[in-house]
Amino acid sequence: MTTMKTTTLKTLAYQRRDVDKGYTNQYLDVDLSAGTISVGTVEEKIKKTFIGGKGFDLWLLWDAVKGENKWDDPRNAVCISSGPMGGTPAYPGSGKSIVTSISPLTGSVIDSNVGGYFGPYLKFSGFDALRITGKAQGDTVVVIDGIEEKIEILQIPGLPEDAYALSDVLTDHFSQGKKVGISVISAGPGAANTRIGCLNFSWYDNARKRVRYKQAGRGGIGTVFADKGIRAVVARWEQVSLKTNNPADLEALKAVARCHSREIVELDPKQNEMARLGTVHLVPIMNDFDLLPTHNFQYGSHPGASLIGREAFEKLFDPGYDGCWKGCTVACAHGVKDFVPYTGKYKGKKVFVDGPEYETIAGCGSNLGIFDPFTILEINFYCDAYGLDTISVGTGIAFVMECFERGLINTNHTGGMDLSFGNRVNALELVHQMAAGKGFGAIAGQGIRRMKGIFADQFGADPAMLQDIGMESKGLEFSEYMTKESLAQQGGYGLALKGPQHDEAWLIFLDMVHNFMPTFEQKAEALHWFPMFRTWFGLCGLCKLPWNDIVPEDNKDTLEPAKVMKHVNWYADYYTAVTGNPATPEDLITMSEAVYNFQRIFNLKMGYGTRDHDTLPYRAVGPVTVEEYESRQDRYDTELKEKYSIDITGKDTAWKVAALRKRREAQYETLKDAVYERRGWTADGIPTVATVKRLGIDFPEVMAVLAKNGVK
Amino acid sequence: MITVGDQELPWQEGLTVATLLARLKDGHIYAVVKLDGRLVSRPHFNITPVPDGARVTLIPMIAGG
Repeated sequence: MTTMKTTTLKTLAYQRRDVDKGYTNQYLDVDLSAGTISVGTVEEKIKKTFIGGKGFDLWLLWDAVKGENKWDDPRNAVCISSGPMGGTPAYPGSGKSIVTSISPLTGSVIDSNVGGYFGPYLKFSGFDALRITGKAQGDTVVVIDGIEEKIEILQIPGLPEDAYALSDVLTDHFSQGKKVGISVISAGPGAANTRIGCLNFSWYDNARKRVRYKQAGRGGIGTVFADKGIRAVVARWEQVSLKTNNPADLEALKAVARCHSREIVELDPKQNEMARLGTVHLVPIMNDFDLLPTHNFQYGSHPGASLIGREAFEKLFDPGYDGCWKGCTVACAHGVKDFVPYTGKYKGKKVFVDGPEYETIAGCGSNLGIFDPFTILEINFYCDAYGLDTISVGTGIAFVMECFERGLINTNHTGGMDLSFGNRVNALELVHQMAAGKGFGAIAGQGIRRMKGIFADQFGADPAMLQDIGMESKGLEFSEYMTKESLAQQGGYGLALKGPQHDEAWLIFLDMVHNFMPTFEQKAEALHWFPMFRTWFGLCGLCKLPWNDIVPEDNKDTLEPAKVMKHVNWYADYYTAVTGNPATPEDLITMSEAVYNFQRIFNLKMGYGTRDHDTLPYRAVGPVTVEEYESRQDRYDTELKEKYSIDITGKDTAWKVAALRKRREAQYETLKDAVYERRGWTADGIPTVATVKRLGIDFPEVMAVLAKNGVK
Repeated sequence: MITVGDQELPWQEGLTVATLLARLKDGHIYAVVKLDGRLVSRPHFNITPVPDGARVTLIPMIAGG
């Protein structure tokens, strides 16, 4: 056991409440400013309305913050919850946690889902959710020990700075010889020195004898965590079985879990091979369909993509079981062992890299013009160790590189660094600077929205161009899909509650490749059903990958193949078996609708959440520049001539760029109208009174927010 | 012969992924196939030959993200 000097600031001994039908009906409240620990009750009405996971988080967060509070206000909370099915070991993808907070990037509600053992261990220790408010003096570690029935706030000076070493040391110290019983949440120095900090959630990989981790990456929740002066939260638990959630119908649970688990074992090797390769198969596929972001989303393919895709990483991944929760048969959390960085603190030392996934490859590879898997691995490793979100890092540096190449910024601004696309050494140097909060990295680490302001106000760059090419919406950096040729995916990103992250709606293939939704109404229907169903996973402690990344062989013969209804029915059965509340597939959508609309109104409470905030940079909608237009000239010329009946004879490219822009921007506004109507919102994007009443979220505070915004 | 999923089909000279899918009832809905373990996307269907004895798996590709 690692020896460390610990000072106990507060201890709460408690009697653990066993889980009943997926719930403990309690939450844990830690106020770091007051140094208090308390246990709250989850009332039946709250449980019924918010279900769990993100729903519980939002309820606790709403209660904690006022509309005028900023992200660094002590009232801001970091809320973490799994969900009623979270921690079920036999059903694939059942170990997720959802984290929410007020984001330092967007100023509003952010949520981020993550694997690792923490959420289930928290619940089995007696708490459906954890809320951390206030601020500590520093070096604070919160320990939730479900075995000894004790919560502690500790002060531990001298802990390692980076998450890679910190998780290892804390796992060793608190495990009492059983490391698999520990899960650690930590951030890192990068989280403290930027606005794009992530949280690392650990689990112990018993086969490899090492601590592994996954990230709650989006929106800077790691930055909030670091700002609170907290270094880590540790959960301790041991025994897990199908009975630990005390399901309402154990036999029904076993039956449905067996069906889904076996199907994945049979079909995944034939389909995407996620258990062997994770999501790296997407790299060549996206490249082939002109959807892989390259050079800051200017283009969708590159000859070098083959160097950073499936063929590269199948040679690099360490073979073995890689489930981020016990018993998951998707098991996609792959990593690379004995990687030796050539920069930074770990230069020349062997490390284990947890990743990369598709997003990191595209964001920190192709989007930067970097087609070298080893550089991607090194950026991946340091982002995790520093506590930085690889998506915001990748999309942010891509923006910087395009600004540099277009002369909007130069070496006088970057501290002498050449930040042209493809400059691997300086991309890495920028990551190190971000983490340290030094040099140009101190600016880049603020995220694209703030960089745009600094580049325009202090460096004299053209603000209109910055707006067009800065790939953020609502203040959050885009995740790594090209949306220019898919109006539905433009909506998927632009209308997402927290900003452009694909976990709410990923419709590119259904729209652009399969053309399943040619009309505005069909797109609006998709932008209702898919975000709602995807939200449901986050309420229940589930990963969405088993739903539609491995598909039944007869799925194509069903009425709605895009929804994979066989699996949706299994999920309804799964929910019923655990909670004892009978549910149909339609009920799952209604559950999500309540939470989804509550989150939209939460945005409104924080000063956002209206039509004006559902905007996109034009790079996400169409070609900004002449070069982009000419790279897809046939497509765009045809669109102008055939779809819009415009005579383009004799017109130069700049004229055609402008003509197309006018139509595409109008098209996006029409889509907003259709989606708002389908969701039961006003033309300004606010849920109507009738909608909130139908969904049972007409709490007095909710109605007051609506009334304040003119909705009565 | 070639194997498509669990089904055996006759092979013919000049067979490509595109002509193979055209012979299948629902071939048009597939955007990606796995040909002897290698992923092939629709933009390459016309120019990708299917050799005799090949194993082809049809990938639904409705997910991602």
